[in-house]
Amino acid sequence: MKDRRWIALCAIGLVVLAMLNLPDAASRRVKGAVRDGISPLQAGLRGGVREMREIVRYVRGLGDLALENRALSEEIVYLRGETRMAQELARDNQMLRDLLGFAQRFPNKLISCEVIGRDSTGWWQTVRLDKGAAAGVAEGRAVLTTDGLIGRTTAVSTRTADVLLLSDPSCKVSVRLKRSGEFGLAEGQGARPGQPPAVRVDYLLKTADVQPGDEVVTSGLGGLFPKGLPVGRVAEVVMDASGLYQTAWIELAADLGKLEYAFVAATEKDLAAVRAAPVPPDAVLDDESGYLEGEDP
Amino acid sequence: MLLFWLLVGGTLQAAVPAWRHMGQPAFPILLGVVLYAALNKKARYFVAAAILAGLVEDALSLAPLGYSSCAHLAAGTLAVLLRKDFFADRAFTTSWLGALCAAVATGTLALLLRSKGLVALSGREMLWRMAGSAVLAAALIPLLFGLMRGLERRLGTWEDRA
Repeated sequence: MKDRRWIALCAIGLVVLAMLNLPDAASRRVKGAVRDGISPLQAGLRGGVREMREIVRYVRGLGDLALENRALSEEIVYLRGETRMAQELARDNQMLRDLLGFAQRFPNKLISCEVIGRDSTGWWQTVRLDKGAAAGVAEGRAVLTTDGLIGRTTAVSTRTADVLLLSDPSCKVSVRLKRSGEFGLAEGQGARPGQPPAVRVDYLLKTADVQPGDEVVTSGLGGLFPKGLPVGRVAEVVMDASGLYQTAWIELAADLGKLEYAFVAATEKDLAAVRAAPVPPDAVLDDESGYLEGEDP
Repeated sequence: MLLFWLLVGGTLQAAVPAWRHMGQPAFPILLGVVLYAALNKKARYFVAAAILAGLVEDALSLAPLGYSSCAHLAAGTLAVLLRKDFFADRAFTTSWLGALCAAVATGTLALLLRSKGLVALSGREMLWRMAGSAVLAAALIPLLFGLMRGLERRLGTWEDRA
């Protein structure tokens, strides 16, 4: 009996050791397979949450109306509900138009994605997108919203991609102040208790003219992020303790806590690889038409 | 049944944002499933649950494969050792046990990640995060146990203390 217990313990130890020492490629494949397997559940949950939110918003609206207009007939309530629905649709329509217009202005090919999850451990500032290598998403690509840059892709599986957000301490971006042209390095500071995720720009010359409100954009240095993408605005400027350079805390252009949709800036090479593959690219925004590829405008 | 809960737990854990106020710990749903297996199922189910929960958790984060399995095994083993001293079906005791095990799991994972230089975390931040996950687990795990037990009773697979 004791022997069997030892054998079982050794077997468990071996399984864990094997998992810990899997070669990088095998580990990526296993993680990708698990992630792809769970992604339909995540997308379904996301859709369900969105529906619930719409219903709650609608019911809350009806409740307000009932309080304010007790005397109104059922027909009026119904008509107001209809109006509310129409307004929702108009807002969605406007948002989609904005997204398409944004895609037309942007020089890279953009892959539109939906945010379906976050880091399951809370150790990293990441979000998960519902598109992966099959749609042309590759590792190390800039990810943005209509407001500005939000991060870069890290782990990419066939159907999902993880985005390391700007607020993560391991995400570093070379940036430039639009007004003065000063260069600096933006680095995520992680989540601070009770405050929104913070990003700091280091290594700004001590003589540099930096003012709160200055717009911060990507510098394009390093080649990872396209030049001129909006990152945020300077919120506070402080001199470094060493007195050698200035540090600016920035308020990000995009709200990282409320991400629903995002674009991955794909290169021609990424898309060519997808075109060569048997799986057709889905939801790739075409620069010229602004419509989804394969869809009739 | 455990597989179902692991999939649901993994999906939910990745959907609910981490708690910003106490060191950004995630809601320990997968850990809850592991503890449930440790307290109510045979050892082999607990080990399988711990390894699979770790696999799901690592796949849905940037952690290297196997790290979360180690953390879950450590926490689950503690639960098994304390099983006789706790009433697994009392909310108060499962709450305490959940808090203790969540702190152990978070601490184990933090040490592993720190040893590889994957996260920069001071000792104080680590303790703060362990406390955060303990608070979340204390609130969440009795509820999760109730749900899991309720479903098992409905399906007729519930057995008192394997």
